[in-house]
Amino acid sequence: MRLQPVRAGSGTKGELLSGERESSLRARLIGRDETALVELIDTASPWLLGIAHSMLSDQDDAEEVVLDTFRLAWEKIGTLSPHDDQRLVPWLCRVTRNRAIDRLRSRRRQRIKAERIEAAEPPSDWVVPPAEPNEAALPGWHVNHNVHRALADLPADQQRAVRLAYFNGLSQSEIAHELGVPLGTVKTRLRLAFNKLRGALAPLKDWVL
Amino acid sequence: MNSHDWFIEHRQDYAARVLDPDDERTFADHQARCEACRTAVTDFERELEWLPMGVTPVRPRPGFRWRAIRAVLGPSRRSAWTVWVPTALAAGLALWAGLGFREAAARGAALEGKLATSQQALVALGDTVAALRGAARILQASISMDEHKGGLLIFEDGVTHQWNVVLHGLPPAPAGMAYQFWFICSDGMVKSVELTPLGAGPLFVTLGMPSGGGQVVGAALSVERLGSVGQEPKGRELVHLML
Repeated sequence: MRLQPVRAGSGTKGELLSGERESSLRARLIGRDETALVELIDTASPWLLGIAHSMLSDQDDAEEVVLDTFRLAWEKIGTLSPHDDQRLVPWLCRVTRNRAIDRLRSRRRQRIKAERIEAAEPPSDWVVPPAEPNEAALPGWHVNHNVHRALADLPADQQRAVRLAYFNGLSQSEIAHELGVPLGTVKTRLRLAFNKLRGALAPLKDWVL
Repeated sequence: MNSHDWFIEHRQDYAARVLDPDDERTFADHQARCEACRTAVTDFERELEWLPMGVTPVRPRPGFRWRAIRAVLGPSRRSAWTVWVPTALAAGLALWAGLGFREAAARGAALEGKLATSQQALVALGDTVAALRGAARILQASISMDEHKGGLLIFEDGVTHQWNVVLHGLPPAPAGMAYQFWFICSDGMVKSVELTPLGAGPLFVTLGMPSGGGQVVGAALSVERLGSVGQEPKGRELVHLML
């Protein structure tokens, strides 16, 4: 059984997480407000599950990683200073991604995973085209749309390397093996791509989900 | 190229986690001692912090929300009451529905409608039972009303801080009267809702905490005149529960 990607307008509730709301949410989490925890789970789960599932291609593993992320967020939220410019959702995304990569590597499943990447791509009718965002159904589509636009502006070979690295959790050597190109070529492609993405995503720096 | 140049060159790769495991460990060891590399890695992470949002979001499976809450807050918040009370309630309801089925079969087609109604009630109550399993605290009181023996159950939802209230076994209130639910607060009684049992089944309502009256310290149930505008109970008090 596969996870079901979210469709636009499918009824998933959510509101735009404004800067003010994020500050309030963070303060309430620090104050051990359990309704804030529920709010965070409702807002972030689809994205965090998407990140974990894109790497692990496994429903149960993805959920375990996200549960770990929420546990850590609840424990460590107090260590994020209110004046720190670290945004809550990107922080959760990074924790989820790191944990998914750790799990992927600790189980030495990269080779199996690489073979399953294509097969694990959800059917096209499950995916909401980024061109048709629906903030009312799920907050965060505006970010997703901008990330896709930035990726689309990359040359195809760089885009492929970034997708394998960032969304599938492969290391440089694994990407080289997957693409059948020398390791140095992969390093160059990633370096060029990251430099472009840093510029393209810079306007998102002050956004909130 | 000196030894530090290798680390400078691979700061981005480390932050993006694309280094092979051995190189990643080497960089991590170095970073722990090198503030410049640590700062550069942090800056890079911030610059690409939204990149993971390029994934396709995935709808959580049913029950994931509760699993997440329990994973964070821990299962110890659930008392044994929340396990066996809903189970006993469900078993009782199943027996009730089963008896209803036999009776309906015996009386023939004329009672099929009644059976369908009972089954709908059972499904609705099954949903109720599922909701009640998340309760952090349960209060119970027995009630005697004329020839009837019933009770009031209050399930406190530890997450939403609402009360799920079940009134069962009581007859309809006498003509011109109503069952009135009260919050007992630190500043006095706060009038809540009128409870009107429908038929023989239990009545279920979800109540938010009152906006005034101070801290909620208990609950009461009384029989009041219909449309009574009083803010204090004047009728017969059936239940007085303190937290």
